[in-house]
Amino acid sequence: MRMTDAVITVAGVDAGYEHPVVRGISFEVFAGEVFVILGGSGCGKSTLLKHMIGLNPPLAGEIRLMGDRLFGGSQEERSRALRRFGVTYQSGALFGSMTLLENVCLPLEAFTDLPREARHLVAEMKLELVGLKAYAGYFPADISGGMKKRAAIARAMALDPRILFLDEPSAGLDPVTSAELDRLILRLRDTQGVTVVMVTHELASIFAVADRCIMLDKQTQRLIASGAPAELRAHAELPAVRAFFNREG
Amino acid sequence: MLISLPEACTADRVAALWRTTLPAVARLGGGDTLTLDAEAVAACDGAGEALIVELYRRSARQGFAIACRDGRGVVARTLGLFAVERFAEDPAAANPARNTSTAVQLGQAAVHIWQDACGQMAFLGEATVAAFTLLLRPGRLRLRDTLLHFERAGIDALPITLLIGFLLGLILAFMSATSMRQFGVEVYVADLIAIGLFRELGALITAIILAGRSGSAFAAEIGTMKVNEEVDALETFGLPPVVFLALPRVIAATLVMPLLTVFAIVAGLLGGALVVTSLGVPATTYWQHVVKATTLGNILLGLFKAAVFGLLVGLVGCSHGLQTGRTADAVGRAATAAVVGSLILITVFDGLFAVLFYVLGI
Repeated sequence: MRMTDAVITVAGVDAGYEHPVVRGISFEVFAGEVFVILGGSGCGKSTLLKHMIGLNPPLAGEIRLMGDRLFGGSQEERSRALRRFGVTYQSGALFGSMTLLENVCLPLEAFTDLPREARHLVAEMKLELVGLKAYAGYFPADISGGMKKRAAIARAMALDPRILFLDEPSAGLDPVTSAELDRLILRLRDTQGVTVVMVTHELASIFAVADRCIMLDKQTQRLIASGAPAELRAHAELPAVRAFFNREG
Repeated sequence: MLISLPEACTADRVAALWRTTLPAVARLGGGDTLTLDAEAVAACDGAGEALIVELYRRSARQGFAIACRDGRGVVARTLGLFAVERFAEDPAAANPARNTSTAVQLGQAAVHIWQDACGQMAFLGEATVAAFTLLLRPGRLRLRDTLLHFERAGIDALPITLLIGFLLGLILAFMSATSMRQFGVEVYVADLIAIGLFRELGALITAIILAGRSGSAFAAEIGTMKVNEEVDALETFGLPPVVFLALPRVIAATLVMPLLTVFAIVAGLLGGALVVTSLGVPATTYWQHVVKATTLGNILLGLFKAAVFGLLVGLVGCSHGLQTGRTADAVGRAATAAVVGSLILITVFDGLFAVLFYVLGI
């Protein structure tokens, strides 16, 4: 793992829709690392993620994915940036009328010229990566919450993105399933060389997978800490950080 | 045979390679050797890996050998990640939903229709019991919800009802007037419009509007609540969804239909007046004929039919909403089924009423 190339640069970003939820956020994410954005409920984690994946423009500042801007640049630049990442949403957001295989095939149909047989094989291989090949013909309604999250990761990986954004992947999962998902994230990072950016507030997941993390604070509307999770827990000077890591009220 | 994988073994290049080389690979058999040259590969994505797996899968199936030049370890890495024997089957075979014969599909459709009919009957039973319970304890009716649905299904639907009613009267008058004028009896267009709108068309056209506008909305609203587990939450609170969700909508639809029908009829009469007066018949004569042709029996009959149609639209919409599956797709299907079901029942009941009123001499 090389920690030298910044694949994501966030510079002076004010995140929010009409009014900023957090201000002046700046950080870099390096190739091959698992980077976690954490903080309490309502601190702007998911809002920041929405800016990073191009759903909403930030109120101020600039975000670059491998040098390309999602907002403020040309349409080609945005398209290039969009092709570089995959996203999984909290609920999985699988299309209910399609089987898992069809869900994973969808981006391949839209963005590649691969023949049908090839698309199916690629989709099957992605499902194999997340341990769901046997469920290729199932509909999302017929599988468990953990399986939905894994299938969503397989779909996000369909086009071999360099960056994978995960929004609360452990939300609503039991600890065992959550730990399985953590292992899957690390395996994908190691075998596929993907950089993972994850929004979560699950402490167990943070310590299991994160190389580095940043913490956002609702009260000050600022990025208040950054570093490896163990470092933050050991040397947290701010009460808000200490409280988060030690689960204090 | 030689296949050289490109330096960038990615989807763009693999798509062409797949189409050009795999037909030739299909002709290889036992005793043949395929040379797979992966020396140049610097980057390999999922499509490249799929091509490698596909070649080894075919080798296992067709019996040819593969001689691999894999200095960079791309092929070995791929085969390490994806065991070829795991991909021996045709991917389509893993999809049970798509591998059903026509007979099975017919059977499934029949079972689905039967289950749907049973569901409708069960809902009708529940709704009837709930309605009787309400008669004993009227306080259980959610009056605020009922008024809200009354507003949405009625007041909000007024503009479209008036427009369609007006155009219906206009078209009806125009079509009949052209024939009647040949005999110089265009003044009787007023009688035709009045009887037609009061007895038949006023209620029918309003019911069609209600089914398309509100019946589908009932099904979609309740269906979405089911997808979001809100209906389950109601049940666990001990609040019957039929009382809480369906009855306010059904009652609102039943009460609002006669009112909307009156507006549609008045708009239709105005539309007719426009055509008839433009043909030279005085407005006073037109309205005198309308009043003469409109009996209390016709008015009550039309309003009774309107109330029944409203009841049907409400029942069918809520019933399909409560029977929705757990997906967004199911909500769409429920809304469609609500409209189609309502239209069928409205037509069937309209026919039954026609026969019944004929037999009763009304």
